[in-house]
This record gives sequence, C-alpha cells and structure tokens, in this order.
Amino acid sequence: MGSAAPLPTLLVIPTGIGCAVGGFAGDALPAARLLAAASDCLITHPNVMNGAALYWSDPRIHYVEGSSLDRFAAGDLLLQPVRQQRVGLLLDAGIEPELRQRHLQVADGCRATLGLNIGPVVTTDMPLEVSLSLGASGVSWGQLQRPDALLLAGEQLKAAGATAIAVVARFPDDPESEALAAYRQGSGVDALAGAEAVISHLLSRELGLPCAHAPALSPLPLDPDLDPRAAGEELGFTFLPCVLVGLSRAPSLLPVDAPAFAGASPLAIDAVGAVIAPAAALGGAAVLACAERGIPVIAVDNPCLLNVTAEALGLEVIPAASYSEAAGLVLALREGIAPAALQRPLPPLSSRP
Amino acid sequence: MSLGELRPVLLQLERRPGSLRAQVESALLHHGQPLRWAITAVDQSAEGRSLLQIEAVVIGAIDPHRSEA
Repeated sequence: MGSAAPLPTLLVIPTGIGCAVGGFAGDALPAARLLAAASDCLITHPNVMNGAALYWSDPRIHYVEGSSLDRFAAGDLLLQPVRQQRVGLLLDAGIEPELRQRHLQVADGCRATLGLNIGPVVTTDMPLEVSLSLGASGVSWGQLQRPDALLLAGEQLKAAGATAIAVVARFPDDPESEALAAYRQGSGVDALAGAEAVISHLLSRELGLPCAHAPALSPLPLDPDLDPRAAGEELGFTFLPCVLVGLSRAPSLLPVDAPAFAGASPLAIDAVGAVIAPAAALGGAAVLACAERGIPVIAVDNPCLLNVTAEALGLEVIPAASYSEAAGLVLALREGIAPAALQRPLPPLSSRP
Repeated sequence: MSLGELRPVLLQLERRPGSLRAQVESALLHHGQPLRWAITAVDQSAEGRSLLQIEAVVIGAIDPHRSEA
C-alpha cells in the first residue's frame, strides 16, 4: 500500500492561556508527535515543544516561533528546512554570575553531547528588566523595559554569523506566589509565558531569524504535589536544552520573493492542509489567517481560560474531542477521506432549490 | 536600531463584515505596531452585534491625533 503525500499541518496551542494540554512544560509534545506521524509534516511553535530539560527532535516537526508562524500563515514568509542552524546565545545582563554559568554549561553540554552548533554568546549591555502581568481575561502577558538592549545584542549575534537565536532573560522569582503554586500543581496559567512570547516575537520579527526564549530563574524548593505536566521544568537548573534543540533544526525564515536555493523546497502556506487549535481559543492571528484562506480548522476540546469559539467568531470548523481524534481527522484529510463521512448520523444530500 | 516602548493594549471592537484579522490589526495600528495579539472574549451588544475584546502588546508611542478604533 502506498502512503499518501504529507499533509503540512499547523498545530497552534497559544501560550499562557491555561490549556489543559499544552499549558505547562511542553505537555503537548505527545500530541505533536502523534500529529507529526499522522501528517508527516507538522509546523508548530515553542510552547508546544519546549519541556525545559525535556525535548523531542523529529525531522517531520518544524519548530517556528509564534510571530513567524503568524506571518507564515498570512502568506508573508516561507519556511526553509535546513540541516542545522548555528544557534547564537543571547544572555540578559541581569542574570547573576552563577546562574549565567549554569546556562553556559548547558550550551556546552548540548555541543558535546548532542552535536549542536552553538555560538557565539553575547550579553546585553544592560539588564532587560522583564516584568510579568495578566490581561483582562486572566491570560499571561508581560513586558521588558529594555527592548533596545535585546535587539542590539540580537543584531550583534546575527552579524557574527548566528542563523538562529536562543535568548535567556532573567525573570522575576516569586516562589511564594499562589499562582506559581497553582501552576506547579496543575491548575492556573503559566505566568512566564506571555513575557517569553513578547521577547521571542520581538527578536524574530526584527531580525528575521528563528528565535526562542528560556527564562532564567532560581531553583524552586521541592513540591511533593508537583503535577506531571509541570515536571519538565524541575529537572535542572535551566529551561534552555529544549530551546537549543528546537532551534538547531528550526526552518529558516524566507521572504516570499526569495530566490530558490539548493536543497529542500521551502514550505508555503498554500501547501498547508489543516490547522489545529483549541476549540475555545480560535481568535489568534494564525488560525484566523488560515480560516480566511479556506484551510480546514480542526477545533480540539482542550479547556482553557478563554471562550472564543467557532460559534462566537462565525467560523466553520471540524470539531474533535481530543488530539487523538484530531490525528485521525488529519489522516483522513491526508488520505482524501471527507471527515463528515466518518460521523453518524450521515444526513442525505439535499438538492438546491 | 531605535525602537519604541512596548505597551499593553486592551480594545473592544464591534465585529464588522470581512476579514476579522485585518479588522483587528487595523484597529491596533492606531496604538502602535502590533507585536502580539489575540481575541480574548466575544460578547453580544444589546443590539445583538458581536463585540470583540482584544488584548495585545504593541511597539511604539500613542499618536494622540489618530482616532480610536
């Protein structure tokens, strides 16, 4: 039996909205692996893939930072698969010396043990001063006071030959907070996620390079009630390994009018056959862009803080009760089987008047 | 590279026909260059029209001469 051609598929699980699947430490990774197998080509973002010390590398999965994913979905850029990126390391000057050393040792470990191409290392000329906040809806947002310092360091890395950038910013410690306790015990929102997204969006958008972020934090005291979904963040001193691994094979970002070059053809939004998103979080740029292009939207029941549904937005979607069901739907689309034919009751065709 | 400050924005928009994405991005441009945004709630007005709540971070300063979306 011959297998159908890959069906490039977008998987979006927005960061910082408390999704039951994907709202913690890379806990949507099993779903991503399943969807990669079903589609043979999955395009997704760091929130799905980053499990701090835990990661999974799969050549069928394309690791694309959120704002670049938005621009890809809008048809404003192409994704060029590469064998390996040279990952520059951008460190916040606000990181204390011992914590900084821990991050440098993780980078060295990824070079020595995984064979990644990492460097150079640039430190910002002043602390980035990251702050955390929640929006009106309760979702995670955040700020940095020194975006210019971030961009200057990013430009230095790009000029020195980095083709992707891993950023480590010092995030505020708040070990006594109720929100952190709730997150570690499997409820509530990842309070760091919004500021992380702002940092990586800014760099990627301004430099045109794949970027991802890991927060630098002091180690937390042991929590005996730790939720398994948050456990990936408690295994080491840094959240950096997953970012370095993800970026090491992240596709390059090409302008839509870029000349073709040797190697694998770039991916364009025209080739995408499905987008998968939480059923109550359909109001993001990538999902709306896909819907406007007529790309089938698979809306998965994945509880979160929001209630921005297909009905509220007037979108037509294919509902799925789980990511397992979504994988079946992707496979159906890939094989040319109409998803409606798999459902019962199957109403008869009606003729137009 | 010179860059404006990053600022949070909270908007409420009445849904109009046409591209929802274009409508949101156009409204945010009154406040700066959109960096990250999402529709975080949809409510109904008394007249039955959809009201979208937008949360965003934009780059740049407010231009007081531009009208609110």
